[in-house]
Amino acid sequence: MSKIMTVDILSSIKGAQPSEAVNKLFDVIKNAQPTNNNTFNNNHNNSVSINDLRDDVVIESSVIEKQIIIENFPKEKNGYLVVSKVIEE
Amino acid sequence: MDSQILKIHQQLVDKEITCTALVQDKLAQLKQNTHNTVNAMLDTMALDLAAKVDAKIANGETIGLLEGIPFGIKDVYMVQGTLTTASSNLLKNYKAAYTATAIQNLLNAGAIPLVKENCDSFGHGSSSENTIFGAVKNAINPDLVGGGSSGGSAVNVAKNYTVFSIGGDTGGSVRQPAGYNNVYGLKPSYGRISRYGLMAYASSTDCVGPIAQSIEDIRIVLNVMSGKDIKDQTSYASAEISQAQLLNSEGIKTVGYFKNFIESPAIDPKVKADFLQAIEKIKAKGIEVKALDFFESETLVSTYYTLAMAETASNLSRLDGTNYGNRIEGDNLKETYSVTRSENFSEETKRRIVGGNQVLSQGFSDEIYLKGLALRDTISANFEDDFKDVDIILSPVTPNTPPKIGDSLKDPHAMYLSDAYTVGFSLGQLPTLTVPQGTATGLQITAAKHNDELVLKFANFLKDTI
Repeated sequence: MSKIMTVDILSSIKGAQPSEAVNKLFDVIKNAQPTNNNTFNNNHNNSVSINDLRDDVVIESSVIEKQIIIENFPKEKNGYLVVSKVIEE
Repeated sequence: MDSQILKIHQQLVDKEITCTALVQDKLAQLKQNTHNTVNAMLDTMALDLAAKVDAKIANGETIGLLEGIPFGIKDVYMVQGTLTTASSNLLKNYKAAYTATAIQNLLNAGAIPLVKENCDSFGHGSSSENTIFGAVKNAINPDLVGGGSSGGSAVNVAKNYTVFSIGGDTGGSVRQPAGYNNVYGLKPSYGRISRYGLMAYASSTDCVGPIAQSIEDIRIVLNVMSGKDIKDQTSYASAEISQAQLLNSEGIKTVGYFKNFIESPAIDPKVKADFLQAIEKIKAKGIEVKALDFFESETLVSTYYTLAMAETASNLSRLDGTNYGNRIEGDNLKETYSVTRSENFSEETKRRIVGGNQVLSQGFSDEIYLKGLALRDTISANFEDDFKDVDIILSPVTPNTPPKIGDSLKDPHAMYLSDAYTVGFSLGQLPTLTVPQGTATGLQITAAKHNDELVLKFANFLKDTI
């Protein structure tokens, strides 16, 4: 798996190219000198304490929630929700 | 301006007005408005809720402070059964299956939602022009942009179409439109209000933020929305801020401002002069003012956009038209994904997704993304040091006055740079309030993380000082 993926493939956007406006921002970062190069020694750690994790339980969705999820599905045929053809590569 | 919530509450209690008449009046104003602030009206829901409030009052029952108060919601919040489009073509027919925690808290308190409000698509923009519903027009001068991304929300509050509105702020999206339309807009400390049900843009800086005409209304709405939520594990428990707490500014002895914001060649001379005049008035009240060193605007903007683009590329990868959204069929699944995304995302959204995937790719992530994270840490550490020396940091909201409609779309890089004064505080996850005073686009008041109370306290002090 040494296939090079271009940004249009990575982004699933046809013909997508890096833009000049955004590249100018990245150039600033490339040339910047952070005083702290250890990215994991941070001051804004939002991780959750292991004692504070939510219960690992399945929560049943309400009837109306399920109904809206089905309503939002883009395509339906003979009572089935239809997705596009999946191809193997 | 005094609290609109308290005023309307009293009018309802005293039976000077009915809730139904109030809601009908606001709905009519929203429908007739020419500022493009509306994505969808919530008429039926609003009138049903208003009738219930009127019945309660007629029965002699007491009503809560927010009961019957009409408000607006930026169209990036889930409200069960309502269209939730993020102003995008992809989700133009998408119905929310559940309700965001922040909005649910307001509904539980009895507030009445009137409208889903126009904004930049997925929060991608600083002008509310990147939208399928037409550019939002500024409340003061309709030739100018309404600001963004919560432009529709700020304009609705400024025009008094809603009593308050709930925007979302990732890099300035509440504070900048509040400044452009001369109202109050708060980005609370990151995590104070649950993000559950807010469509994710950049998860590490996304904040729910109220926009209103007074500090008191901001306080009331903030209290109702705040709190720990098991559905957003970055949320935290916070104490209620009382009205009495805000009346006393004795704790504020030192105010800082960033020298390089004011000395930047990009700042409008009038904004600069007005800001320095505000500083002088604060000094005259016996408060010590310190000029602080900070990062160059370009570094702040580039760090913010690098991280925000990486996060949005990841967050928006779920939008492929499979389970929901405006799917466009291709020959196979992959083709369907790419046609759906190419045809349905705005140019600005595509630019940010591509940018995000660039910096997350192997070979680039060390040089850009990881370095961006390290810069963010340095910026946060800088804030921590600053708040050892000062209680409050004061800044202009924007370097310039609002651009004309159409100008921002022509030059995306200039639009990114116009966020120079707001993005730093987002990276620091700090509480920051825009007040409609001091400069043409207001002032930002910032305090240390989790000290939202001090921000409101200083705003109260400033109201009578400048």
